[in-house]
Amino acid sequence: MQVWTKLFAKSPFKPLIKHSEVVLNTVETLEKALLAWERGDYEEMRRLAIEVDRLEDVADRIKEEIRDSLSSKLMMAVAREDVLIYLHMQDKVADAAEDTAKWLLIKKPGTVPEELKTLIIQMGNESIKAAKLVHKAIVQMDRVIESGFVEGEIEAEYEIIHEIEGVESKIDGLDTELMKRVFEMADQLSWGDGFYILNVARTLSNISDKAKDAAERIRLMMNK
Amino acid sequence: MAWAIGANDAANSMSTAVGAKAITPKQAVIIAGVLEFSGAYFFGKSVTETIRKGILDPTMITDPMVLVYGSVAALLAATIWLVIATKFGLPVSTTHSIIGGIAGYGIVYAGTAIVNWGKMSQVVLSWILSPVIGAIMAYLIFKAFTKSIFERKDPVRSARIWSPFWIGLAFVVIGTMFYIKVLHGGDIKTGILMYGIPLGVVVFFVTYLLIKLRFPSSDPFIGVEAIFRKAQVITSGYLALAHGANDVANAIGPVAAVYAVATMGLGGMEVPVPKWILALGGFGIAVGVATYGYKVMETVGKKITELTNTRGFTIQFSAATVVLIASWMGLPISTTHVVVGAVIGIGLARGVKAINKDIVKDIIISWFVTVPVAGLISAAIFKVLMLVG
Repeated sequence: MQVWTKLFAKSPFKPLIKHSEVVLNTVETLEKALLAWERGDYEEMRRLAIEVDRLEDVADRIKEEIRDSLSSKLMMAVAREDVLIYLHMQDKVADAAEDTAKWLLIKKPGTVPEELKTLIIQMGNESIKAAKLVHKAIVQMDRVIESGFVEGEIEAEYEIIHEIEGVESKIDGLDTELMKRVFEMADQLSWGDGFYILNVARTLSNISDKAKDAAERIRLMMNK
Repeated sequence: MAWAIGANDAANSMSTAVGAKAITPKQAVIIAGVLEFSGAYFFGKSVTETIRKGILDPTMITDPMVLVYGSVAALLAATIWLVIATKFGLPVSTTHSIIGGIAGYGIVYAGTAIVNWGKMSQVVLSWILSPVIGAIMAYLIFKAFTKSIFERKDPVRSARIWSPFWIGLAFVVIGTMFYIKVLHGGDIKTGILMYGIPLGVVVFFVTYLLIKLRFPSSDPFIGVEAIFRKAQVITSGYLALAHGANDVANAIGPVAAVYAVATMGLGGMEVPVPKWILALGGFGIAVGVATYGYKVMETVGKKITELTNTRGFTIQFSAATVVLIASWMGLPISTTHVVVGAVIGIGLARGVKAINKDIVKDIIISWFVTVPVAGLISAAIFKVLMLVG
């Protein structure tokens, strides 16, 4: 009777947490790249942006592995669809970081006004926060299940989700602010600079958007 | 047969405790050996009686040799089928195999009329009901755990009170069974009041004191799991006891039948199972645990990582209680299937992260396959034996 061993399928949550660690790593590296960009250290920024690209590949590979192992043959404490869509969203966070890195690489930073730089760095800081919170949320989800869906743990999870939503709306605010500024400064900026700045901002705010979507999925996991 | 049961099935009862590192494999071998033997020796009689003479109508067997050959055929068939099934990785119940084997030779000998269909359907019904009851019980106990421990402000404090409660409750069942089986008490109420409850209360206070002394509270989850890691040793033992009580019959039921013929001729039908045969079966299981179960426990124990101690405790407590009560009623049920039922019950309570549905399907299929296949093999062996003999 080897039923014991076979009956328990491998839980998808440890790999999900592993994936989110890589995603977090990707976003953290992006933040470093942004700081190098702010300093005007193009070489360092380039090195870090390429690292972001590499980490995103690692995340992709883990994602594929989880997808392959999550067959419909499992009876899980949460809906399989929710896990898969959550994974997709979590992966999108790394994708968005990679997009930002690509934009950083596309051209040597020219003359970006200081105040715009500051806004972009702020957005970078907030995206890190969002990615960190997503990691915290999936670790907490594991705990929710460990506890057998206890009220207190669910509440703690909701708190994290609210925080993510808070960060997302903050980034939205910064994004709007930046767009306004770019157009106000239209005379001082070249067409290329403006386009470049706006796209870096767009991809940065995408990070928190996807983080919010991921949080949304975790909310659904708890309401199976 | 008893050796095989000990080597494989019995080892499973302890493997979660070994996996949780609550005890070493060596300690597990000793505990399982002693408790399997005790379960078989003290509580194993009713089920053995059912296997010996409940399945076939004894008055229809006029030739004593039929009973001897038949029993041998049933034992051989069950063993062969178990070996084949194990090869293919099918989780097969020893209980179902032996009953299929007995029915098989019976039908070949005297047609379907010989089978005590009333008893047989009762047995089969209990196979279907037992995992369901196991599931419901595990579900409820797990929910009770969540409410009484994890949802409290201080889970570790609650666990200190509630884990002795559940352990105490296990001993209420054991005490009651002791009264009925060993002291041959007839009234279950007296059993519960005079033996079960007092024993349970004593055990409650002893475990309460032990836990109070040994476990300082730290992180609530780690603290609770630490308490249940130790508590699991007791439920593992409880399951070993229950397993011994029920499954000893699979090995020695047919032996008892042969023995009755050998000593008393067919009149031996009325002779109860002698104690020494139960002891022999219990001993066989214990030897199986010691010689081979060690290995099974080590490998199985290491692999179970998806199970927390509270869940392990719940599964074992529910399964053992169901199996022990079934033994009291003389119903041969499959420990494996009750355990599977309990695991699913916790899964339904959203307490297990992932269960492999395929295995569940395999198990259900094996219910339907085992009895006829073991029956056919037994029938064939019986035919050969009758021709040769």
